[in-house]
Amino acid sequence: MAHDPAVADLESFLAERGEPLLRTAVLLTGSREAGEDLLQAGLERLLRHRSAIVGDPEGYLRRTLYNLAADGWRRQRAWRLRLPLLQSETALAVEDGTREVDTRDALIRLLVQLPPRQRAVIVARYWEQLSEAETAVVLGCSVGSVKASASRGLQRLRGLSGISTDNDLAEEKTP
Amino acid sequence: MSTDLEQQLRGAMERFTGDVRVPPGLALKAYRHRQRRRMTGRVAAAAGTATVVAGGLAIAGAAGAFGSASHAPVQTAYTAYVITRVEHALAAPRIGNLVEADRTVYPPDRTLQPFAHGLLGTEGGAGSSSPWRAGYTLGWMYRGSMELSSFMASGQRVFDWAMTPANGTTAVIYGNDTWWTAPAPGGQGGGGPAPGCIRGSQIDLGGGGAGNGWPAFIRSQLACGAYTVAGRQVVDGISTIKITGDSGQFTFWVDPATYLPVQMTMGQKRTEFHWLAPTPANLAKLKVTVPAGFRQVPAPTAPAPQAP
Repeated sequence: MAHDPAVADLESFLAERGEPLLRTAVLLTGSREAGEDLLQAGLERLLRHRSAIVGDPEGYLRRTLYNLAADGWRRQRAWRLRLPLLQSETALAVEDGTREVDTRDALIRLLVQLPPRQRAVIVARYWEQLSEAETAVVLGCSVGSVKASASRGLQRLRGLSGISTDNDLAEEKTP
Repeated sequence: MSTDLEQQLRGAMERFTGDVRVPPGLALKAYRHRQRRRMTGRVAAAAGTATVVAGGLAIAGAAGAFGSASHAPVQTAYTAYVITRVEHALAAPRIGNLVEADRTVYPPDRTLQPFAHGLLGTEGGAGSSSPWRAGYTLGWMYRGSMELSSFMASGQRVFDWAMTPANGTTAVIYGNDTWWTAPAPGGQGGGGPAPGCIRGSQIDLGGGGAGNGWPAFIRSQLACGAYTVAGRQVVDGISTIKITGDSGQFTFWVDPATYLPVQMTMGQKRTEFHWLAPTPANLAKLKVTVPAGFRQVPAPTAPAPQAP
């Protein structure tokens, strides 16, 4: 089975394009393990539908990743796994005291707290740097929906970020 | 969302996924999992008729989506994806928040001469005796302002040249201890729309659009199309994506984390890029200082381009 040409072709495909796809999957899910699971789920769908895909399996796989993530793929499991992880990371960040790194880590922590569709839009727009129209095509929704999700996502990020900063300041002022 | 927060978010995403690598065996894992689900489905379906059909795993057409017959369109799609990412990376507003520093090494017999609204490079001809011989140049660019210093291969400084949208062009010529200044030309900043496909050996980075610089120039080259991703290559310690032009004239190496160019070759000319934060020290590199005792002269105007 390991010598099946489909596996060899899939391995070749991943060697060429696996890294950017996995990075996107990790951002969509919030952790490396969940990202690998999401990419594997996407690959399985790619295998299932390969005969119907014309020309661009990466495009199909990318759309699949976004749609699985936006539809809340394994949402419950991921959230259960994420919660203790985020709590431990928060504690580490406070102890470490490196503010710039903390800010970046905080943004990622805030990103994974967004609802799946808003997170998917944020990743598509600001990681993949897709336009609103391109994002709408990938997610299979309207441009208006992308705009609304991006706006709400950014608003939440800004809001959550503000709450985080206020808390930090409050903690610093506490004797 | 402020641009700063957008940048921070992008940086956070890059950092968060910077060391992500595809685990070995993921393809086989996906394949086996898919096969198990297929077999489970088959058994369940066959149970209704009390007949289990043994046989192949129906991998007919395995050369379909991933087979050799489809590698060309897949490669084309990947190239298009990478080119799009590079074009996005070099476009506003992102590029406007970075200071671009470059070092270009020229082959023998090349000259580079500053004019009122740009720089004119030539190859061959009187290069070996010209006072404008260019061994290498060091350049800086930020938000439409540019500075470039040209040196002979021996390290002898030939000229410093700077252009800002507000103050125009200033050049210091070390060969005859002169300097000149010229008013700013009209044009667009480096983050504007790509100026379209540009071909030819004469490159006037400043003309026809003040401060367009390398980002716009590279975007103009990519606009010519006919580029292919040619795998990975380590440049300056980075495992870059190599992008080659079909003509063989231009090759780019881009950082897969940022999709910004790390290196570019144009024929025998090689340019290395660094993308830096706009710190006071880096911004100071954009200014030209006129040494004491240098004499001001009128700014020269560029000759009309010759017909090919």
